[in-house]
Amino acid sequence: MSDEANELARTTEHRLEELEKGLFTSDLSVNEFLLIKEVGYHPLGFVMGSSIYHTGIQTRKWSQSQELTKLTEAMYNARELAMSRMEDEAAQLGADGVVGVRLDVNYYEWGKDAAEFIAVGTAVKAEDGVSRLNKLGKPFTSDLSGQDFWTLLQTGYMPQGLVMGTCVYHIAHRGLGQTLQTTGQNMELPNFTQALYEARELAMTRMQDEANQLGASGIVGVRLEEKTHQWGSHTIEFLSLGTAVTKTADVVSLAKPITIISLDN
Amino acid sequence: MSTETPIPDGSTLRADVRLAMASLENPSTSHTSVASVTSDLSIDEELNLHAVGWQPVELVSGVSAFSVPSGLWNWGQGEIVGAIRAHENAFSHAILQLQRDAAQAGGHGVVGVRVERAVHPTHVEVSLVGTAVRPIGASAVDSLKVFTSDLSGRDFALLDAAGWQPLGLAHGASFVYAPRRQMSTVLAQQSQNVELTNFTNAIYEARETAMERLQAIALSLAGTGIVQVQVVEGPMSFASHAIGFATWGTVVRLTREAHQRVEPQMVMSMNDRASAFEATTLG
Repeated sequence: MSDEANELARTTEHRLEELEKGLFTSDLSVNEFLLIKEVGYHPLGFVMGSSIYHTGIQTRKWSQSQELTKLTEAMYNARELAMSRMEDEAAQLGADGVVGVRLDVNYYEWGKDAAEFIAVGTAVKAEDGVSRLNKLGKPFTSDLSGQDFWTLLQTGYMPQGLVMGTCVYHIAHRGLGQTLQTTGQNMELPNFTQALYEARELAMTRMQDEANQLGASGIVGVRLEEKTHQWGSHTIEFLSLGTAVTKTADVVSLAKPITIISLDN
Repeated sequence: MSTETPIPDGSTLRADVRLAMASLENPSTSHTSVASVTSDLSIDEELNLHAVGWQPVELVSGVSAFSVPSGLWNWGQGEIVGAIRAHENAFSHAILQLQRDAAQAGGHGVVGVRVERAVHPTHVEVSLVGTAVRPIGASAVDSLKVFTSDLSGRDFALLDAAGWQPLGLAHGASFVYAPRRQMSTVLAQQSQNVELTNFTNAIYEARETAMERLQAIALSLAGTGIVQVQVVEGPMSFASHAIGFATWGTVVRLTREAHQRVEPQMVMSMNDRASAFEATTLG
């Protein structure tokens, strides 16, 4: 890390020291707080990581569908920076994991190519003192809510890490000839379909690769987001996000749900 | 009822206003004579409160606005101290007012506080509205002992059942100048993927000081945790090179010797998603 990054760590350290005195902060709601206590975890602190990142320029060919590797790289790097800073804070608190992770991108007025990538979550520690660090020796991360975390643990699964895949893709414009040909007809536009498929596949595959690295047996709560950010109409970022899980216990303690009819509407 | 009320002429109106003024100046007498309760809690929340032995007393509010010295936002270095101080003062004064209001109504605490805050170039305003509550039949306490919390009545009941108690609202805010990049740097970075460390630093600085203030208040209230921490961050809309970070939450402490498990049960609602009855669809 550069000098500036070390500077960041110093101010953060002071805040984290205060947390070690026994005070916890958390953006969990009361429901989530109680459910996390219920499965034997205690919140340690609200942890954050952020990075303000300038994305470079990449030329796109008007009539060619292609991945914009430079932009993909930027989206990856910036999110990695934010996530790893958040994980560092969690590790410094001696946490076993981070729950309720949110990844956001904010655009500021400083220039349209600069964006803030931010990761926030609540660091938690198991009360029984048994380490729950993941295969890479880091605290696990997960974007599951407190409620989902409780339910997941009842089924004998354990989150390993927040995994993501991203792909910034440029979808070719159609030529004038093509456009004229299809006017007035019912037909699929294969070049658009193809391009969207490819971009989605790339993002999903990258997410699965990350899960494999963690030795996960599955990914739950996968979300697929399509964003154009500020790149104009034919450039899209596909982002897939999910929590990689592994089975750690065979016992499923999830009770058969009681069916209710609620009288309020 | 309305048929019995005589149409007010000038004299009765004046008498009404005088009565209203008197009750405003001396709220305690009006409370004993009229045992009415105003609260913005839902019926469910009231039931929840009663279930843990508390009752709502009165709708209370606290509002405060502090001015920010002019010409502060655009040029400078480091923290924007004037704005930070204004925010801190506005927030703590609003809380004090809320506590005073609640104590006067006989409350021991305020739940369901809605926090509304706005930062303008010239001033910071904070307004808090909530419902004062007390253990059923308890007598009034000193205003400094009144707790405030943005948790709903239902959250309050749930925390109480688990052995936790809210102690007060903690808050922290910080405003920082984001240093401008030099023209040569801007040009050099134009086509590159790079982190803008000056901005990242500024965001971190704002965040750390705001969170530290939040924690300092929690520690001063002898709390062991802050739940439902809310965060508002980003550049100020009226000053592109100023970054703001504000945060608040309810300070809690474990009051029983151990955390009580709530042991939730799994339920599955058999209701259909569509709403059952809508008056507007009736022919």
